[in-house]
Amino acid sequence: MTTIADIANAIEATPIGTAIAESRYAFPIIEGTHLIALSVSVGLIFLTDLRLMGLFLRQIPAASVIHGLRPYVLCGFALVFISGGLLFWAEAAEVIASPAWVFKFAFIGLAGLNAAYFEFVISRRPGALSPERAILPRGVKFAGLASLAIWTLVIICGRLIAYLPHWS
Amino acid sequence: MTTADFLTLIQTSALSHVISKSNHLLIAGFQVFHVMGFVLLLAALVLISLRLLGLILTQQTVPEVADQALRLVWSGLALAVGSGVLMFIGSPKHYFYNPAFEVKMVLLLAAILVQALLFRKVAHSEHPNPWLARASVALSLGFWFAVSMAGRAIGFV
Repeated sequence: MTTIADIANAIEATPIGTAIAESRYAFPIIEGTHLIALSVSVGLIFLTDLRLMGLFLRQIPAASVIHGLRPYVLCGFALVFISGGLLFWAEAAEVIASPAWVFKFAFIGLAGLNAAYFEFVISRRPGALSPERAILPRGVKFAGLASLAIWTLVIICGRLIAYLPHWS
Repeated sequence: MTTADFLTLIQTSALSHVISKSNHLLIAGFQVFHVMGFVLLLAALVLISLRLLGLILTQQTVPEVADQALRLVWSGLALAVGSGVLMFIGSPKHYFYNPAFEVKMVLLLAAILVQALLFRKVAHSEHPNPWLARASVALSLGFWFAVSMAGRAIGFV
């Protein structure tokens, strides 16, 4: 029977997986790239969240902040996923055993749902992102707070992967 | 007192014992604050940089975007340095004699100097010279990216 662990082992054992894991420079460089790219993508999302909550750049319309930053957030995410995918390739079997990794991906899924709900429901309510308003409606503020909290949990779990390698 | 004596002094201090002898999740907690501080710092810096390059929020002046963001840069730095100092106190010799750590400290000093002497001033001016703005962005982001790369390398050297 093929288990998830077998699949992870097979991924890790591919030539590219072994090459990354065994290279002296590739692994730290990819990790560094992952960190910089997440600082741009998740970091700019944090700034957007603070704007939605009315704590940052209040004098600038929220829609301008969101739409202005969006392409850079997406570029950052592309790099985060590529670098993260390569890291997974090199140590798939180890990371799937870590509860922190499992929770990290659960929170990423939740962050995606939260962003979709904001984009397609909350921000389309009349006056939600009205440019005259420094302080936005409660639902918008709450969406910002939720995003800030979930992405913080993603970062915490990501950093804990190395510290919590097993469930028990 | 030599450097080695000084490091021994730190390592034998009560605070160092508390940090190094406690649950390894305390260090993991410092690591989380270290990363969060850096994320805030870099995000605020990228926001200012994009405005300086004229890529976002062009309806607003540079200081309108940068004033609050600069405060966030220093807050992020304070968080990263604070947690970093605690990690250093926990195992000073482990860090001090790590070549990647040494490189990181030199780059960090350079990044802070660029921030304090150049980037901050450009970001506070109403109409910065476009070439000066581009040079500040390149220097500043270049040094901070290098700091983070050297930081990630500490665990591998």
